[in-house]
Amino acid sequence: MVEIAYYPGCTLHASSELYDVQCKAVLGKLGIELKELEDWNCCGATSAAKTDEFLSIALPARNLGIADASGYSEMVIPCSSCYSRTLVSQKRLLEDPELKNTINAELSLKVQGKTKIRSILEILIPKAASGELTEKAAKKLEGLQPACYYGCLLTRFPVDLDVPDNVENPQGMEVICKAIGAKPLDWSFKTDCCGAAASVNDTDTSLFLMSRIMKDAIARGANCFVTTCPMCQFNLDAYQDQVRAKYGISQQLPVYFITELIGVAMGISPQALQIDRHFVDAMGLLKELKLL
Amino acid sequence: MSTTALKYEPARTQSLLQEIMERSGQNLRACYQCRRCAAGCPVGDETKGVTPDRLIRMIVLGDEEGVLNNLLTWKCVSCYTCGTRCPNNIQTARINETLKHIAKEKHSQPLLPKVASFHDAFMKSASHFGRFNEVEFMGLYQLQNAKQGGLKGIIEEVKSASRLGIAMMNKKRMHFSLAKVKKLSEVKSLYKKSKEKGAGH
Repeated sequence: MVEIAYYPGCTLHASSELYDVQCKAVLGKLGIELKELEDWNCCGATSAAKTDEFLSIALPARNLGIADASGYSEMVIPCSSCYSRTLVSQKRLLEDPELKNTINAELSLKVQGKTKIRSILEILIPKAASGELTEKAAKKLEGLQPACYYGCLLTRFPVDLDVPDNVENPQGMEVICKAIGAKPLDWSFKTDCCGAAASVNDTDTSLFLMSRIMKDAIARGANCFVTTCPMCQFNLDAYQDQVRAKYGISQQLPVYFITELIGVAMGISPQALQIDRHFVDAMGLLKELKLL
Repeated sequence: MSTTALKYEPARTQSLLQEIMERSGQNLRACYQCRRCAAGCPVGDETKGVTPDRLIRMIVLGDEEGVLNNLLTWKCVSCYTCGTRCPNNIQTARINETLKHIAKEKHSQPLLPKVASFHDAFMKSASHFGRFNEVEFMGLYQLQNAKQGGLKGIIEEVKSASRLGIAMMNKKRMHFSLAKVKKLSEVKSLYKKSKEKGAGH
């Protein structure tokens, strides 16, 4: 087993606990053991950026200090929001030694800046490219036609960063889906915002953004979404009935995490993957396609 | 009907422009109004004509009132599409973040109060235990709304929140356990440091 540092973030320990469970199960089968960061704190997410410039850098910095002291060279962050905010903090501290000193003065474990931050896709893509994923996926996901939905934060950043995929038309999730026998579709809204940060406080905006995403996915013939972001997953899943009612969309689309599809392909039981915890029924389609 | 000529007051204009440029880290003088940002903005249809390019123009012209009270600043979803597509690398989402900080410092009433109370409640919740707590957060958020929107507002909010809450409980996606950072004093010291510095800086 290869060990790698792991930052779950608040969501993977709360409303998207299923994603935490799936990440551990799927990566475990690929020979990667996730070592959860000791005593991590909330990264501040979008809210810190909108309310408090200093904390938006300082909160992820504390986690970076813990990661740097952990001895692991890489840390995987499956949540797009945590991933983005942690990368931004690391970059800002690299560019601003004065700010880094100010923050480090408050921390018992200082930021050194040496831990490489990885998205879940950056961990999975090499496994797909090497053929290992296909080899371990006993079941081919035939009939599954996902619209791969990346959302905003996986490829777009408020600072200059090297993005490991095409910014406007990323392909990482498609590569993975193909490796497990699914047929991902070309579509136009894969990096459009679903408005997750607005779903509670400006619901109409969020419903509107989701309606455009859903309409295009359906028009292209998708039978489900697949995503890596727990914010997008929750938003498109929990609010989908409202979107459909308001915009007259008859079809419903289950919203899978990428780890869920890989898990099914690997033959991990749906109970172990917690596929029954979706708002929009996610078991039905898999059963219909005889994948469960 | 006569049209009013643009009022341009160099002294005031410069200080506002300078402050926003410094705090957001964006060079607004580089904007040549190509409007690629406007074409890509997902909320651009809902902001009554204020697209990122227009906002930059308002800042350059020193329209402080408009700059702090426009729908784009309060509806911006921080998706960073505008900045990704800008040929001059201007991140208008960062400007919107800075403007919200300035509005807060000036104690000016946010154009969309629920947006401000949402993010404030999030930060408050994360400060108490070092980790975000969904249940506590919803309580704090509703409390802030009640202060601002009165009873009618809160009834509507509670209705939609409980609808979501019940669905979350049915799907076992609501968690009542309390996650707490052990070295909480360290997180609190970061919050304290932020207060000393002035949160927006």
